[in-house]
Amino acid sequence: MSKPVEVDIALGILDHQLVDSDGVNCGKVDDLEVQGLAGGSPEVTEIIVGGNAWRSRGLLGRLAARLAGNAVHVPWSEVESVSSVVQLKRPAAELRLGRGDVRWARLVGKAPGA
Amino acid sequence: MWVVVVGVIGIIVYSEMCGRVAAVAERPVFDLVRERVGFGAGLGTLVASQIVNLMTCAAEVGGVAICLQLLSGLPYRLLIPLATLALVVASWALPFEWIERVFGYLGLGLLVFAVAAIKLHPNWGRVAHGFVPGHHVGGSLPVYLYFVVGLLGAAMTPYEVYFYSSGAVEDGWGLKELGLNKVTSMIGYGLGGFLSFSLMIVAGTLFLPQNIDPQFLGTPPLAAAHALGQVGLLLALVGILFAVGGAAIETCFSGAYNTAQFFGWRWGKREQPAAAPRFTLAWLVIFALAFLVVMTGYDPVKLTEYSVIFSVVALPLTYLPILLVANDRSYMGSKVNGRLANVLGVIYFVIILAVAVAAIPLMLLTNGGQG
Repeated sequence: MSKPVEVDIALGILDHQLVDSDGVNCGKVDDLEVQGLAGGSPEVTEIIVGGNAWRSRGLLGRLAARLAGNAVHVPWSEVESVSSVVQLKRPAAELRLGRGDVRWARLVGKAPGA
Repeated sequence: MWVVVVGVIGIIVYSEMCGRVAAVAERPVFDLVRERVGFGAGLGTLVASQIVNLMTCAAEVGGVAICLQLLSGLPYRLLIPLATLALVVASWALPFEWIERVFGYLGLGLLVFAVAAIKLHPNWGRVAHGFVPGHHVGGSLPVYLYFVVGLLGAAMTPYEVYFYSSGAVEDGWGLKELGLNKVTSMIGYGLGGFLSFSLMIVAGTLFLPQNIDPQFLGTPPLAAAHALGQVGLLLALVGILFAVGGAAIETCFSGAYNTAQFFGWRWGKREQPAAAPRFTLAWLVIFALAFLVVMTGYDPVKLTEYSVIFSVVALPLTYLPILLVANDRSYMGSKVNGRLANVLGVIYFVIILAVAVAAIPLMLLTNGGQG
């Protein structure tokens, strides 16, 4: 990150759009892993995306998590910058993100004109 | 008629706001919903708004089929799959601007009702009375209120802001487009309100005195025929066909935009269908579901009225995040709401809450407006 900005984690990061280095949408910040709460210097270490990450997000989240697969964990060190979106340093595929779109693209790509 | 004025101003206020957010922060409405109300409540809003969108879309697909029936004389049930297919093909093959242009301009055929309204020489004094709240003839107070709430809910139906803001992001709006945003929201929704007046005047002048209840889509075009002959009838039918067809595409796409934005998928009509595959599948599935709903033979207009129940959840949780983010300097910088937008925004949010709270009791009390 270039210059220090003050961001409210719950309001400014959680539930925001993830965008990869090619500018492609690749999921939401569904949950955050925070470490060092006991030590007094807490730090966000991971962004958790999809599937199981929804378990901690209320009743509907638990239901949705049951229908979905495993979450993907992205280390915070992969984050380039935070604005109204969370910008990542690498393409989604390298971080195992946006795989749903890749999977369905094969099916939709078979249609004429797609 | 005063209700239409109130509703149209409301949708202009919130469309301008979400268009501004889309231009400055490049965030469409459902991103804001998720960011401000979180996963659980956001998912609830998504489900509720999907049901409202689907019912509205089904009613519109049914409407397109009725129009085609009036134009061609073929059986209605044969025309439902044809109408759905035509809408799917148009959505698949036409670029975003062309969908807007074709359906927008041909939908202007509806202006024939404005001409008809003038040619029918209505009693303008009575028309003016309609703009004063509280003047109602016949029917009990709860029934009157039921229709007030229904009209307000319809004028401010959330799919309009979903589609408007997502379209603004698709068109790549930036700071340059802020003026365009103001003009588009005012003229666009203003025109919608104007057409509603025309239809109400036509109905009030021609049908009310003869005790005809124009609740069928095929009735108003007869008024255009009465005032303007065959050409009027044709223009009216083509206008309705494209206006309703365009609305069907908008509601369907709103559903796909919302789902993709909630889960963070790639989305956009500008993308190749396979570049945003889950978005593409979403709108195809919604058209398919709408088709099935119409084929069940339930009166789609009745279904839309019942889907009001789900608006109770969708309305406040859609409009509140827009109001909050439009005031957030971390998104908007210096382009946050001015005093006028905030005063109107808060007043309309209170109105929306009142509509949401009153909708179900009124529906039960009046037996769905039957009295």
